[in-house]
Amino acid sequence: MSLSPSHNELSRRHFIGRSATGIGAAALASLLSPRLFAATQPPQFAPKAKRIIWLTQAGAPSQLDLFDYKPGLASQFDKDLPASVRGEQRLTGMTAGQKRFPVAPSVFKFHQHGRSGLWLSESLPHTARFADDICVIRSLHTEAINHDPAMTLLQTGHQIGGRPAFGAWVAYGLGSENADLPAFVALISRPSGPTNAQPLHERMWGSGFLPSRHQGVRFSSGKDPVLFLSNPPGITPERRRAMLDDAATLNRLQFAEYQDPETQARIDQYELAFRMQSAVPDLADLSREPADIFDRYGPESKKPGTYAANCILARRLAERGVRFIQLYHRGWDQHNNLPSGIKSQCHDTDQPTAALLAELKGRGMLDDTLVIWGGEFGRTVYSQGVLTKDNYGRDHHPRCYSIWLAGAGIKGGQAYGETDDFSYNIVKDPVHIHDLNATALHLLGLDHTKLTYRFQGRDYRLTDVHGEIVKPVLA
Amino acid sequence: MPTESGARNTLKQFDVMTIEKHMKRRLQFTIVWLATLAAARGAEPARPTKVEFSRDVRPILSENCFACHGFDKAARKAELRLDTRAGATATTDGITAVVPGKPNASELIARILTSDVDDVMPPKKSGKHLTATQKETLRRWIEQGATYQRHWSFESPKRVMPSPVPGTAHPVDRFIQARLAAEKLAPSRLADSATLIRRVSLDLIGLPPTTAEVDAFVAATKKDADGAYRQLVDRLLASPHYGERWGRWWLDQARYADSNGYSIDAPRQIWKFRDWVIAALNADMPFDQFTIEQLAGDLLPNATESQKIATGFHRNTQINQEGGIDKEQFRVDSVFDRVATTGTVWLGLTVGCAQCHDHKFDPIEQKEYYRLFAFLNNQDEPTLKVLDPGAGASELTTEFKAIEDKLKAYVKDHADELAKWEAGLTPEIMKSLSPAITKIVAVPMEKRTFAQNKTLFAGGIGGVGPFRLLNDRHTELDTLLNQGVTTMVMKELPKPRKTTVFIKGDFTRPADEVTPGTPAVLHPFEKPAGQPTRLDLARWIVSPQNPLTARVIVNRVWQHYFGRGIVETENDFGLQGTAPSHPELLDWLALEFQKPGGDGVWRLGDGVRNEAPKTFERTAKTPDPGPQTAWSLKSLHRLIVTSHTYRQSSSDRPELRQKDPNNYLLARQQRLRLDGEIVRDVALAASGLLSPKLGGPPVYPPIPDGVMGQGQVKRTWAVSKGEDKFRRGLYTFVYRASPPPSLNVFDAPDGFSTCTRRIRSNTPLQALTLMNDSGFFEFATALEKIIQKDGLETAFRRCTTRAPKSDELAVLKKLDTLNAARALLNLDETVTRE
Repeated sequence: MSLSPSHNELSRRHFIGRSATGIGAAALASLLSPRLFAATQPPQFAPKAKRIIWLTQAGAPSQLDLFDYKPGLASQFDKDLPASVRGEQRLTGMTAGQKRFPVAPSVFKFHQHGRSGLWLSESLPHTARFADDICVIRSLHTEAINHDPAMTLLQTGHQIGGRPAFGAWVAYGLGSENADLPAFVALISRPSGPTNAQPLHERMWGSGFLPSRHQGVRFSSGKDPVLFLSNPPGITPERRRAMLDDAATLNRLQFAEYQDPETQARIDQYELAFRMQSAVPDLADLSREPADIFDRYGPESKKPGTYAANCILARRLAERGVRFIQLYHRGWDQHNNLPSGIKSQCHDTDQPTAALLAELKGRGMLDDTLVIWGGEFGRTVYSQGVLTKDNYGRDHHPRCYSIWLAGAGIKGGQAYGETDDFSYNIVKDPVHIHDLNATALHLLGLDHTKLTYRFQGRDYRLTDVHGEIVKPVLA
Repeated sequence: MPTESGARNTLKQFDVMTIEKHMKRRLQFTIVWLATLAAARGAEPARPTKVEFSRDVRPILSENCFACHGFDKAARKAELRLDTRAGATATTDGITAVVPGKPNASELIARILTSDVDDVMPPKKSGKHLTATQKETLRRWIEQGATYQRHWSFESPKRVMPSPVPGTAHPVDRFIQARLAAEKLAPSRLADSATLIRRVSLDLIGLPPTTAEVDAFVAATKKDADGAYRQLVDRLLASPHYGERWGRWWLDQARYADSNGYSIDAPRQIWKFRDWVIAALNADMPFDQFTIEQLAGDLLPNATESQKIATGFHRNTQINQEGGIDKEQFRVDSVFDRVATTGTVWLGLTVGCAQCHDHKFDPIEQKEYYRLFAFLNNQDEPTLKVLDPGAGASELTTEFKAIEDKLKAYVKDHADELAKWEAGLTPEIMKSLSPAITKIVAVPMEKRTFAQNKTLFAGGIGGVGPFRLLNDRHTELDTLLNQGVTTMVMKELPKPRKTTVFIKGDFTRPADEVTPGTPAVLHPFEKPAGQPTRLDLARWIVSPQNPLTARVIVNRVWQHYFGRGIVETENDFGLQGTAPSHPELLDWLALEFQKPGGDGVWRLGDGVRNEAPKTFERTAKTPDPGPQTAWSLKSLHRLIVTSHTYRQSSSDRPELRQKDPNNYLLARQQRLRLDGEIVRDVALAASGLLSPKLGGPPVYPPIPDGVMGQGQVKRTWAVSKGEDKFRRGLYTFVYRASPPPSLNVFDAPDGFSTCTRRIRSNTPLQALTLMNDSGFFEFATALEKIIQKDGLETAFRRCTTRAPKSDELAVLKKLDTLNAARALLNLDETVTRE
């Protein structure tokens, strides 16, 4: 046919929605593939990581009280943060009206751990056992100063909703290793303490403009781990099977008439749905985990929906080949009563996080699993509200904060990047969220500049037009 | 124009090494060129001999070169721009990228062919790569004189009448079939009557036909196929459900939803805007007026309430109510969204790309972006209190007063009874009463207000029986008449805000001040005497000189019928967009759309538009369009759906699979999975539960536990009662943060940004939803009753419109009736438009 070559090529590319320079023509074949969760394309180069477990600490944990040790602050108690340090940083409406910005040194003691001597706060005794496995980035920064835009930026590379989540990009780029499970799963846990739980949105694990098959599937702790998984009341598995068989027969007759590959795809999707109906409950059923597992993860781990229970679930998902597991824990927004708030949060998360690392390590899975722990921004060195020797609050701070990485391809036992004496500005090796995402994609074998999707006339990327791989954190 | 020798002369300025390198490259060039030519010949035997810039060359340059050698000054490398002929042929430092007629002397050719990794263009790190065919196209383009053309979509549409095709009167078919004939392909046969009535019903009103409608149509078709079809189309276009179906098409573009978004995601009232859209489409409000009222209805002289409601279009942006935010940041973000949405929806241009820098591909400067921004930066964002005009305010007020009198009388007549009840209130009983009631009980009887008595009776002795009935109605009327409905609208500030360019789109970095204006590449903007406003912008958009809007809209309508636009990139008519598959048809449709009347060749019946829908009051300022009105969407729909191209079968054929597997040429129709809302509507209609009620506040059909409550504020979802449980999908309340799962899973948009084309995914979660969602299960149990009462065949017809074949019936008969009903609702055919 004589459609001009440029038209033909462009059109097909636009129709499939993948740029010729990004995900290639191979995508066409897999788009029509009946295996929904199959990989869209092979990795772009040899991956170090097969999957990511992202332990998302929503609300913004204080770097000053957990990771970024500032011994010099003790002498600065209640002194004003020098204006030269503060610079022109925007403040949130919660402290913009404060007359003073008194320095609040952390009440927590810091110690060195492991062979590497990594400094960590006393509030993370369990995580500290893995000091030689984790790499703390102390110089992460973001632009956003409010939770929603900041979390959206962290998850999608953009402050305004509507773009695909990191996990959706990975699902799009790599697919799932398990034909019966989605590539991207979100788990939400609730803090045990009385805190202001941070908001989460469907779109944080949404597929944005990517096809909806790449969206994260939220597993919940209710009787249906996945929406609409259970048969309606009165429908036995046998009745369901009979219905499926006959619907498939009718669909095949329809396919014979119209030859529409979508019909064939639908037949296959119903089969996959059927398999999910047994695979997912089996996965979510923790009752057959040995008793010592619950001991390792701590007392909360037997309660469905807690961070500890979700950490066990995350390991089970990882074992079954799920590519991207996003586990959310809320409650880190300590504008006031920070010391007690942090204690409560660490009670919920520290032991299970360490248990997860231990289990992954014990099973040899830490070698190909990238674990990320962190929130959407940091907190201020100055106190929000009243400052006393043992109590203070901290406001949002985007200019620097700490997260850690562990596992596949990560050089553990190091702190990367430096902040000034007040943990207010970065003085060495800044890492933007785009850099973090570029690095994580790199570990998965994906070039962040090539993982693109054409939408509204533009090739979009998780890292927008930014992102540099942070090589020093790599093993 | 530099000559070959002139170009050589300039080489003298080079040092020896450069010359050597240059010579080496020339040699490489010749070898590679020969190889390229051979490869290109092998791959693409049949190609037009004359290279056309817009069709053949610009897409290559735009995709591979313009990012660094295009319109954006700041990003331009080596001072070279290839988006203009002057730029491409200019000589800088002795080097000329394009020497017309002389590819061998053109640096561009040398650089794309070289194997030197340091020199090759596009550079390796860009990730771009030219194919052998593309390189050859560029070479021949230069050889043929390197002529440039203005990008097609910036030129006015040209009226080219389609060449006659024997046996084909309809102009759309002539365009399509002339092209098919050139490819030696034949169109498909007409779809059978049952398929056709289902298709056109789903496309025009979003509901399947009833079995009686099918029978009547099949019978009428036997007598007069065209006449029966014309009548059918007219009936559907006159149906008030037409406005619902096509209203949703527009609401996608308007990014409509019922909450504020961001983390708090509080519910908002803006459904009056949704109803305005439905009413305007039902009244066939001309599209130019439809545009003006939405962008600037409040600025029209003596603006009516309806015209103000219309400005809700640009209030469908998110509002951040999180603590500690800088409100200005989010106001600016919403204006960014309004600029981008206006550009995408009406101009089909990615205007938003120029927010941070000059557009990389299209000739839109960053400054021009902020001139558009200036039109949309001067608004106050109030809410408007409205009384539903359809509610019949005067009658309702009378009823309200009458009921109030009755209630007062009831209270008076039952005072003793109440006193007795109060006397019997033990402390235990008091504890079980609501605080509101106990508070009122403490008030001496004679001092109680009417409202207090009302509450007291409702919570006590009047909880059942006649008082309850009267009281419920009273409360309902009170809400309707006195609490009022509000809707979000636009209002111009008396004093315009100052608008500046924001460096890199950052609102904390204002730069040069700008005044309202439009991009220079498009038709001129006629400056009014005073400060230009949104109204001037709206008028500029619907100006007959605008080459884009009509094309963009007809293309988006076309896309709905065939699954793909004539321009496939329906939201990008710029340089990065695809070229139209049928450019002449696109132009012809665009001109027809704007033209009053028409030449009557294809017009298959008028008068439909004169029939005002009964359910909605005609919007006050909408003149009766009449058959001679331009910009009629209903005429456009009629034009397209009466073509053979639309009416033909969608069955694939072996020769088409081979020659046009993606159906660009439309030798057949296209099967399309239904939109999420319509998946629901079809199941409701098939199971006999559908409520045909139009408009009104959004409703809350059942959703699973745990869907709500991820946000910062726990939202309740009080399931609607009665017929509101069975309303069409477009009336379901949509929280942006937690959209209804059964719609979301079928790719319904989330309302965060404009959606000009829905994705149609096919996933196991859809299967789980249709099988197990309690809503769909309820529909299945209702369909089971139909099977029991009217038989399997009827149920089958209600789902698919056609009669089952014997083997299909045999399969279904093996199942129990509930299972058969579930199988029917889960069929691919049920959720697909053939």
